[in-house]
Amino acid sequence: MQDLALEIRGITKRFAEHVAVSDLSLAVPRGAVYGLLGPNGAGKTTTIRMILNVIAPDSGTITLLGQPNTASGLLDRLGYLPEERGLYKKMQVRRLLRFLAELKGVNARTADKRIDEWLDRLSLRTAEKDWGNAKVDELSRGMQQKVQFIGTLLHDPDVVILDEPFSGLDPINAQALKDTVVDLKRRGKTVIFSTHLMDNAERLCDSVCIIARGVKVLDGTVTGVKSEHNKRNVALAIAGDPSADVSAILGDHTLVSRMDDSNRFFEIELAVGGDPQQLLQRLVGAGAMVQRFELIQPSLHQIFLEKVGATGIEEGMSGHG
Amino acid sequence: MAKLWTVIKREFMERVRTKWFVIVTVFGPLFFGVIMVLPAYLSVRGMKDVRVADIRIIDATGTGLGDRVATRLNGGPMGDAAATQVVAVAPNEVAAAESLATRDVMAKTRRGYLVLDSLTISAQKASYAGRNASSLNEVQIIETALRSAILGQRLEKEGLDPRRVEALTKVKVDMSAERITDTGRGGSGIGSAIFGFMIAFLLYMMIVLYGQNILRGVLEEKLTRVAEVIVSSVSTDVLLAGKVIGVGAVGLLQQAVWLGSAAGLYHFRAQIFVKLGMPAMPAIPLPEVPPMLIVALVLFFILGYGLYAALFAAVGAMVSSQEDANQAAQPVVMLLVFSIIFAQPVMLNPTSRLAEIVSWIPFSAPVIMPMRMAAIQVPWYELVGSLTGVAVTCAICVWLSARIYRVGLLMYGKRPTMRELARWIRQS
Repeated sequence: MQDLALEIRGITKRFAEHVAVSDLSLAVPRGAVYGLLGPNGAGKTTTIRMILNVIAPDSGTITLLGQPNTASGLLDRLGYLPEERGLYKKMQVRRLLRFLAELKGVNARTADKRIDEWLDRLSLRTAEKDWGNAKVDELSRGMQQKVQFIGTLLHDPDVVILDEPFSGLDPINAQALKDTVVDLKRRGKTVIFSTHLMDNAERLCDSVCIIARGVKVLDGTVTGVKSEHNKRNVALAIAGDPSADVSAILGDHTLVSRMDDSNRFFEIELAVGGDPQQLLQRLVGAGAMVQRFELIQPSLHQIFLEKVGATGIEEGMSGHG
Repeated sequence: MAKLWTVIKREFMERVRTKWFVIVTVFGPLFFGVIMVLPAYLSVRGMKDVRVADIRIIDATGTGLGDRVATRLNGGPMGDAAATQVVAVAPNEVAAAESLATRDVMAKTRRGYLVLDSLTISAQKASYAGRNASSLNEVQIIETALRSAILGQRLEKEGLDPRRVEALTKVKVDMSAERITDTGRGGSGIGSAIFGFMIAFLLYMMIVLYGQNILRGVLEEKLTRVAEVIVSSVSTDVLLAGKVIGVGAVGLLQQAVWLGSAAGLYHFRAQIFVKLGMPAMPAIPLPEVPPMLIVALVLFFILGYGLYAALFAAVGAMVSSQEDANQAAQPVVMLLVFSIIFAQPVMLNPTSRLAEIVSWIPFSAPVIMPMRMAAIQVPWYELVGSLTGVAVTCAICVWLSARIYRVGLLMYGKRPTMRELARWIRQS
């Protein structure tokens, strides 16, 4: 049996008005980067809160690192970055971080050493200024995000759970986060993160689980999911606006079953039996100035849209993913 | 347990570190000192300031009674009677003299005027009008002077030597009241009442201040969303307990500093008064404080504080904005105000039925009962019953609040209705 960091079996959570998560099962291998994908209101945050044992599922079991997630001391091996971030505003950064570390069972001395390392690493402590001695509300938003991030990782958790980690990050912090995720994986840690940004998930994740309206739509490794949905797709870019002839070709359903205008290029899904060579010949024949013509795998985004559809995104916009 | 300690430590240290705490804790005793010294200081100054005597006496008796009153108002024959103006008039001129005097009072050349006429002698009736007519103290001084003047006049009429009259009518009574309990005499009645009232007020202040402090703390964690991070490390029960204990410890520390410095001030009062150039203050006979009272006091404080802290925490977890918090906290604040409203009637009559009832009600008992205990001997069964009631109510409130807190802490949006609250309590 594979060594699992997290195993969820058939959990369901009902709130008064609606079912937030319904019979959800998934498994995250140790050392994997795992993406929990879904539109807003899909039940991502509820699922994460159940994993953290903040709320209990109505039914089903959750096993973390081989133990039921209610086991004592287990939370100390978890790092959690919530979607809605916040810190005690009036507290000194260093004291706040020490507090967060102590809550995870790290003693003050070890915490202090690690805090300095992290402050250096994220350049919150430089020759000119040590932001560790400042109060939280004296920090810029970007710096507060860094502090929050340090707080999540200070106790060197085995499993890191990040809820919508990229939302609200500036490009520099987003890059730092990405680097850290890669680094965590290299050190054998498990990273689970939820997002509705498919591009990030596609680049970072080993495996994904897509949920919508509280129900699992699909899961598996990213490569597996992609090859499973490998219809022949073409990325096409044409100079200038497509002429009427070109539009007619693209509208030919014997050749093209679906087309997604991505502004810079079209992502085209070929119809069953449609031949990409024939498409290219006809386009050139119609006088189109082809700049890019590439056979590609469907993006996660495409798969997501196809599986979840527009309805899944419209419904359940309750604010919590 | 280690985590509970971590939470307590944070709640305690972050509060003790604030400027607010330092200011209130240090200046509190200073404030006490001023309150203690100021009345004595003012009364010393007030004796030199002959403002009560600054009146006009319209004397229509024709017997010189007005002069006698003036003399007495200004501290006897040795005093300076010039401060008081005596106008002797015929009985039919009284009305005119009164309207003139009224104008003078309105123009602030006099503080008031006293009218003496034939009725004053025959039926002991006189009238006073003035700016200070609502000051019971000042009116009483004038009345006493008048009574003594009439008495002196009568005695002289009986043929007594005026000098002997002066000596005989100069009676000053200083009555002390002492309290008797089952165990015998102990301290002064007034002293106990004041002491009791101070205790009640202190408890009330502590509960209000630190209860609201808890509410703000919970709301801060909710609004800044720190709560999300914390509950991924500790359970909400630990967080709530740590908060209540930590904040309570801050309250206890402050109380200890205050009471300690009050005791110090009292101990060194003689030196302080000498420094300020005032005669030594008459020793306020402090009531004996039996150890039982101290034990009960601490118990009532802990339970009462726990009860209200839990309620305030639940309110904080229920709401998502400061405005909502103020509204939702009102019922809790009302419960507290209700208990302090009854403090005065209970102090005036600590054995009344009302006093008994409000010291049985768990929400007012923590404030009222210690006060009654300082004033009178409360039967042991009442004390035990009241304490049990508070303890049970405290336990229920903590239990309910912990459940509301568990659900509410991560809920945002509009305030829950009563029905939703009930569901939160059932759900968690």
